[in-house]
Amino acid sequence: MNDNTMSIPHLIMNASVVVQLVMLLLMVGSILSWVVIFQRSIALRRAKQEYNQFEESFWSGVDLNELYREIPADDPRHGAEHMFQSGFREFNRLMPKTRNADTVLEGVQRSMRVAWSREEDRLTQHLVFLATVASASPYIGLFGTVWGIMGSFQSLSMTQQATLATVAPWIAEALIATAMGLFAAIPAVIFYNRLSNSASRLLGKYEDFAEEFHAILHRNLQGRDGKPSAS
Amino acid sequence: MAKGKPQMATDTPRDPQDVGYTLPTILAVAVHLGIIVFSLINWPSSSAEPDSSSIVQATLVSTETFTDQAQQVTEQQAAMNTAAEPTETPDTSEPEATAPEPDTQAAEQQQAAEEAARQEAQAQAEALAEARAAAEADAQRRAEEAERVAQEQAAQAEAREAEAQRQREAEAQRAQEQAEAERQREAEAQRAREEAEALREREAEEQRQREAEAEAEAERQREAEEARAREEAEAEARREAEAEREREAAAQREREVEAQRQREAEAERQRQAAAEAAEAAMQRQLAGEAEAAANAQQAQQAANSFINIVRRAVEQAWLIPPGASDSLSATLQIRLGPSGELLAASIATSSGDSAFDRSAIQAVEQAAPFSELRDLPADQQRNLRQINLRFTPGDVR
Repeated sequence: MNDNTMSIPHLIMNASVVVQLVMLLLMVGSILSWVVIFQRSIALRRAKQEYNQFEESFWSGVDLNELYREIPADDPRHGAEHMFQSGFREFNRLMPKTRNADTVLEGVQRSMRVAWSREEDRLTQHLVFLATVASASPYIGLFGTVWGIMGSFQSLSMTQQATLATVAPWIAEALIATAMGLFAAIPAVIFYNRLSNSASRLLGKYEDFAEEFHAILHRNLQGRDGKPSAS
Repeated sequence: MAKGKPQMATDTPRDPQDVGYTLPTILAVAVHLGIIVFSLINWPSSSAEPDSSSIVQATLVSTETFTDQAQQVTEQQAAMNTAAEPTETPDTSEPEATAPEPDTQAAEQQQAAEEAARQEAQAQAEALAEARAAAEADAQRRAEEAERVAQEQAAQAEAREAEAQRQREAEAQRAQEQAEAERQREAEAQRAREEAEALREREAEEQRQREAEAEAEAERQREAEEARAREEAEAEARREAEAEREREAAAQREREVEAQRQREAEAERQRQAAAEAAEAAMQRQLAGEAEAAANAQQAQQAANSFINIVRRAVEQAWLIPPGASDSLSATLQIRLGPSGELLAASIATSSGDSAFDRSAIQAVEQAAPFSELRDLPADQQRNLRQINLRFTPGDVR
């Protein structure tokens, strides 16, 4: 009998409505944060792999025109490939229109910056949700606990004899809310730090690549001083 | 191709690289289900923790035993006082040890003396039996008077016996203190022996008779001396000296110088043994008293702690009827089985409120098996099988 009344499912079922709502909210937040954790982990790992592959092919000495043509136009790429694609497309578009190398390079730089910021948006997608869960769920759980203990003291004032046995279930069920809040928050904090770190490192690599690509185009323009062969 | 492409590229951002949400969702739900299942599986073991509320009780009990110690001191003092009285009865049992030696000697010397000694020994044994019966009756009376300290009394009885032994040994020690006097007397006796060797042929039979008479007188004297409690040691020493003189005389008669030497060696050994025994007895007395006190204290503490555990468990399970006033009190008699299960709970002294009595009995039944009983030593378990608990609502509220 004692075991039954003190078991966690029993405590959850017997909690007051507010505490139950708080627990439900925390449960949903925990599940969603884990969804984000898994989704982002897989996505970032793939992005890193693809960046490594593209960097290898880019620096393998292949002609940039060929590399650009290999990318299907209707199949948008991501990461460094996307930046290369948008930058090279802008370069090709501007070359016939203007002779001014600075104008061309400016346009290329601008389009690559746009692509980089889209990549950034894509990589850090949903990470803010993790941060929100990490910072808010302890407070939500604490709210549930405070509410539960308030209820326990209210009911305590009704009873004749306040033994530990009458208070204990209330406090236990109230504390479950805090436990759930921490349970949701701790993985969210850990994975937010880890994922945002790996995303920013990847974005740094993209930036480096963009600079290098820009330098190559600049070198080409200086050398030809006219139409590049890739027109 | 000019402007549609980049928009296309950004409008559909998740194609080859982006991960769908079905797999992460499944994984996340699996993680949570795993944690829930783990917590549910793990639950039975952690369900023991609510039972560990007895730990809280244990700490409370420990404080209460501290308060019990004060009571115990007075109880112990009372026990020591009661123990001091019976030490005089073992004094009467003392001749039992000394009487047989002269008996055997008398048997060697004369049968008449032996018979007299036997009769005296019987008389002494009867007196002893009476004294013992009296002591037992005393002990029984005390046992009836104090049911709860029965355990302690057993320890006290042991302590009493130990003290009796110790006293005997102490008397032996006193005898040893007179050993020098004895030695002087022995030297005199030796001189007498040499004279007796010259005179032995003439005086042999007379001596025998005289010695028999002297022995009888000595034993009578011994009885008289035994009646006196304090001067007994000196009397005993004198008796021993006389007995030795007699023994030496017998040896003269039999011309067994070797036997004499043996006896002397024996006496010396006895003296040494007595000295050692006295020292050991002193130490044992100190150690034994401390040990007996500690044992009694432990036993009392264990019993108190068990009773307190039971009381606390019952009080926790007690739903006091709302109308009950604090002045009510009921005494419950609880009988427990060997493993702490409840055999019977009955009202020993009713509070006058039947609902109150019933609620107390229900509380006992609910709090029942008191498995802590098994943790106690076996001899205490027997005493604690039946306990009386007095309950008043004022204690609980």
